[in-house]
Amino acid sequence: MSYVTIDQVTKGYDNQVVLNNISLTLKKGEFATLLGQSGCGKSTLLRSIAGLEDVDVGSILIDGIDITNLSPRQREVGMVFQSYALFPNMNVYDNIAYGLKMKKVKDINARVKKMIEMVDLIGKEASYPHQLSGGQQQRVALARALVMEPKVLLLDEPLSALDAKIRKNLQKELKRIQKELDITTIFVTHDQEEAMTMSDRIFVMNKGIVVQSGSPSEIYTTPVNTFVAKFIGNYNVCSIEVFHKLVRNSELKGKEVAIRPEVLQLVSTDEDTSDLQDNWRIEGFIKDVSMTGNVLRYEVETVESAFHVDYLHHRGKMFEQGAHVQIIVPKNECIIL
Amino acid sequence: MRKIKKQKIYLLALLLPFILFVIGFEIGPLVAMIKNSLYADDGITFSIDQYLTIFKSKFYLQAVKNSFIIAIFSAVVSVIVAVIVAYSFTKFSQKIQNRLLMIANMTSNFEGIPLSFSYIILLGNNGLFTLLFGKIGWDLFADFNLYSWTGLILVYVYFQIPLAVMLIYPSYQGVKKQWKEASSLLGGSKFSFWLRIGIPVLLPSIVGTFSILFANAMGAYATAYALVGSNYNLLSLQIASLVASDVTLKPQLGSALGVLLASTMIGAMWFNERMMRRIRRDLR
Repeated sequence: MSYVTIDQVTKGYDNQVVLNNISLTLKKGEFATLLGQSGCGKSTLLRSIAGLEDVDVGSILIDGIDITNLSPRQREVGMVFQSYALFPNMNVYDNIAYGLKMKKVKDINARVKKMIEMVDLIGKEASYPHQLSGGQQQRVALARALVMEPKVLLLDEPLSALDAKIRKNLQKELKRIQKELDITTIFVTHDQEEAMTMSDRIFVMNKGIVVQSGSPSEIYTTPVNTFVAKFIGNYNVCSIEVFHKLVRNSELKGKEVAIRPEVLQLVSTDEDTSDLQDNWRIEGFIKDVSMTGNVLRYEVETVESAFHVDYLHHRGKMFEQGAHVQIIVPKNECIIL
Repeated sequence: MRKIKKQKIYLLALLLPFILFVIGFEIGPLVAMIKNSLYADDGITFSIDQYLTIFKSKFYLQAVKNSFIIAIFSAVVSVIVAVIVAYSFTKFSQKIQNRLLMIANMTSNFEGIPLSFSYIILLGNNGLFTLLFGKIGWDLFADFNLYSWTGLILVYVYFQIPLAVMLIYPSYQGVKKQWKEASSLLGGSKFSFWLRIGIPVLLPSIVGTFSILFANAMGAYATAYALVGSNYNLLSLQIASLVASDVTLKPQLGSALGVLLASTMIGAMWFNERMMRRIRRDLR
């Protein structure tokens, strides 16, 4: 039984289609991510669910109720903005209590206190937004949305403005709170790593359509097209003709071949590799070596195209720039697109 | 370290003309005025007679009261109108907004004698509209007298509104769209947004504008002089007649009234600030 249903939603601005016949469903308590580059329509879709944008065609249902034409205040959804959007003239307590006051509910004080405890802001009740750090402000924004007990929580790139360490912490915390409250969440991000860590399900969007949906590991290991392969996993993608030429074999059929950089191995050219079965070998030389902390990334130039090969950063053997190598390509890791 | 010091000296040197200007033309006259107000009519004997004269004279107290009321009234009306007008400006396209601001800018500089004269031509006893409406038989201005309190208010409000719009308009840029969106998602209506967030955020600039308008009206001289001459008892007109008239030349008394005028303005601004801080506690 789906809890959130987006049914054939289309929206455009000045003759440009932003959302093109999008349909998707979410289960209750699911953490879903809309992932894509800027301008792919992910934020517009989120804002349409919130009621901050109208849709041209299609309908949106939450818990069986058609909310397509309801105003934002009638939809019972909570939203957290990238810029936090805290009310600057109110302190932490009043920001969180604002929605409850608007709804004229009774136990405001108890509910606000509980929320403040949940987002770990005890002692900051009387602080104003400008006195808080970015991470703390985002916690307040989260508490302000959650205290209303919304049916769906919408997060519009909530962590993008924070620095890496705080972002990692808040990711964990967000996930914990989401599980604790079992709240259906739609998260928008352009950061594929963030999407992978947080989500139960990812919807990869490009040019107003959902290109692929599935669990993080499905998306990562079986991308459906070149766009997803390149966007999600830094896949090495080359045309089938080139691949045939490189491996001197035309067994594989299709249009393009995609291979993840971490499944490739490098050996030096003088090493005997004839005992390695179920692999292809491509010769080349190391054009560049770069390091992203725990990962060493080799750029290997071959006769036809360049390949990225990722290694965990061990103390052991490293290839120097300019070294001649063979790339070992496991046959079962080649994905045909 | 040394480099920084050197740079600072250069910067201070660049500030020098400004400092000299402020001392010579702002602080100097102020000190002279206060000093002057503490002398008797002969300009030699040190006394507080001038202040006693003012506080004993119904005439001068009335001038203070009149000026105060007209300043408060025109400032309040103008601020209210400007808050609404500036908001409506923001709803137009950028191109139209620029045009509207240009009009506001031009009209805000239209004051003093030319403005009074325009009003006299249009709405005076023999003004264009007065005669025109009279001919039509529509006695719109039967009870209206331009050379009275109502007339003064009308003219003051005329030159205050565009200035207020110019001053308040930029602060609407500070009211973020996402606050409105967040408020509506949390169940707030448009009205509750403006009541609880919009107006409080605008408050510092509204209060600042009010202070400027108040001071502007308190000190307005040429407009009032051209319109009512000495028919109406205003503080600025009394000071002028005491320091520049050829009948009752009493510069010391004029100075004392000037000090009173300045203190009223400072008092009003201080009160304004205090009130604002009570509402915007985050600005402490």
